[in-house]
Amino acid sequence: MIVKIAFKNIWRNKLRSWVVIIAIALGIFGGLAVISTATGLSKMRQNNAIRTYVSHLQLHDSAYLKYGRLDDTINQQADIITYLEKSKKVKGISPRLKVESFIQSAGGTSGVILNGIDPEKERQVTDLAEQCIAGNFLERYKQKPPIIISQKLATKLNARVKTTIQCSFTNNIGVPITGIFKVVDIFSTSNSMYDELNAFVRLEDLQNLTSIQGSHEIAVVLHEEKEVEQFREELISKFPNQHIASWRGIAPDLGYADKMMDLVMTLFLIIIMLALAFGIVNTMLMAVLERKKELGMLISVGMNKRKVFWMIIWESIFLALIAGPLGIFSTYLAVNFFGRVGIDLSFAAQGLRSIGLESTLFPILDNKYYVIISILVIITAILSCIYPALKALKLNPAETLRTA
Amino acid sequence: MIKVTHVTKTYDDGKVRVEALRGINVEIKNGEFTAIVGPSGSGKTTLLNIIGGLDTPTEGNVIIGETNIALLSENQLIDFRLNHIGFVFQSYNLIPVLTAKENVEFLMLLQNKSEAERDERTTKLLKAVGLEDQINKKPNEMSGGQQQRVAVARALASKPDFILADEPTANLDSASTANLLDIMYRLNQEENMTFVFSTHDQRVIDRAKRVITVEDGKILSDIYT
Ligand SMILES: Nc1ncnc2c1ncn2[C@@H]1O[C@H](COP(=O)(O)OP(=O)(O)OP(=O)(O)O)[C@@H](O)[C@H]1O
Ligand SMILES: [Mg+2]
Repeated sequence: MIVKIAFKNIWRNKLRSWVVIIAIALGIFGGLAVISTATGLSKMRQNNAIRTYVSHLQLHDSAYLKYGRLDDTINQQADIITYLEKSKKVKGISPRLKVESFIQSAGGTSGVILNGIDPEKERQVTDLAEQCIAGNFLERYKQKPPIIISQKLATKLNARVKTTIQCSFTNNIGVPITGIFKVVDIFSTSNSMYDELNAFVRLEDLQNLTSIQGSHEIAVVLHEEKEVEQFREELISKFPNQHIASWRGIAPDLGYADKMMDLVMTLFLIIIMLALAFGIVNTMLMAVLERKKELGMLISVGMNKRKVFWMIIWESIFLALIAGPLGIFSTYLAVNFFGRVGIDLSFAAQGLRSIGLESTLFPILDNKYYVIISILVIITAILSCIYPALKALKLNPAETLRTA
Repeated sequence: MIKVTHVTKTYDDGKVRVEALRGINVEIKNGEFTAIVGPSGSGKTTLLNIIGGLDTPTEGNVIIGETNIALLSENQLIDFRLNHIGFVFQSYNLIPVLTAKENVEFLMLLQNKSEAERDERTTKLLKAVGLEDQINKKPNEMSGGQQQRVAVARALASKPDFILADEPTANLDSASTANLLDIMYRLNQEENMTFVFSTHDQRVIDRAKRVITVEDGKILSDIYT
């Protein structure tokens, strides 16, 4: 009965109730929209980084990470590669030989890491090939061994495609070595720091130049990102002497972004709930003050305070119960729609690119947020009408009836 | 039976002291049809509120049946009102979102009466006040007189010991006033329901069987007609 009266009461002032309902729904929608966009951005940054340069997993010799010496190559390379090739989870493997080198052209000098790669294999692991402007991923060349440098480095060296450049370094026994390469293509990824530091040459060219066989790094990409950590454990138990890191370990900032996200979202939810609470307190307080006489009458004829209290609590529960699904459902539709179609951010593409983002954003919303927000909305609704409800209990029936 | 002894009521907000009642002694027996009259500000409402347990006396006792309601806590008083006293106010009697039937049923729901009993009694009472064809109307779809009749039916629904009505006809035209009084009078005659009401209206006073005149917070006269 009380529940029924409460439900009917909220429709007495339809406009006010709808304003509150829509405000709550918008709050939920806005909050979830921000959360999903932010999640989408962070995921996009992650995926970008994984795709262009981090990969899912990287294997190194433990000594290589410690000393970075030229001859600290992966000593079980053949076994590891065989194992990886057999695994159904693995999508691509790319061994790399990495040499810190001084790079020099007629127009300038710089420091760079020469990455000796197998273009065929590298294609399966990163999308570096797609980032090359001329579409020559170390595949077409004449006498001089080919090199790919970034746009950034090219500018610094005043180099172009076909420019000859010279790389020099000291090998593992202290002998200075110089190699001549010809720029065959220029790449640019969304990470300008990475771009500046890396150049790519053919694996066998670098092996010949250094007289080092094998590789320093094996980059691995799996079919499913979800399986990364578990597969890492698997590899560690198989090859305990290797240093095996997942993308979270290699680029911890990408993972921190997730943690930051959680914090920001929590703050956001708190703000939404506070706004919601203010809205409800206000409305219910008005609803109580406006009905003073009626509430006084109810208490006079024998409705006890507990029932009066619950009647008012139920009124705001109903408001929240109508607004909650409304907000959640509209969010669900929007997130699903834009999750498929994407949100076009090309107007800001230039700026986004420099921080590792692309121009189409796909919002992502973890289901748990729907649950969390539903629970929070209801709890907030109940909490915030306690004050107005208590206000109703303080009414003195004789007083309220007198002021007719 | 209502027994009011040595009741005084002083309103004191710190600045102004108003002695609304100054030593009231009165006994109202079951089955009476009593009007409380007096000029504005004489203390009629205050007296009815104290009898009805809506307000507490500064001094004195109010005994209803066996209970000294001056000794009850606030929550006990609410329950006491629900089960022993029927109220008809001048206005704001009904719950606007409920129909006539639901308004009458309301107190029985608070009393946890069974659905069968509620239905039967609601129908009977609405018939007794001549509103059997208005049961599904909301208060704002009824006239002032009809609303007051629903209020009388509602007051009776909880099977109270007596009904208190503070100026129940103040907002009614003369036809509705006569009609409401007829109904109250008939309920008094046929069901032996006790009515205590305050009024300014001479036509209402004329129908009363006992007229208590209050002035300045004291009983000036008490006449059985
Ligand atoms: N809450 C209050 N605080 C202070 N004074 C009050 C209060 N309630 C009533 N009074 C005073 O008590 C006196 C009696 O008031 P009461 O309402 O009982 O008179 P009444 O006979 O019902 O008058 P009316 O015919 O106008 O309804 C009046 O002087 C009134 O101003
Ligand atoms: Mg009065």
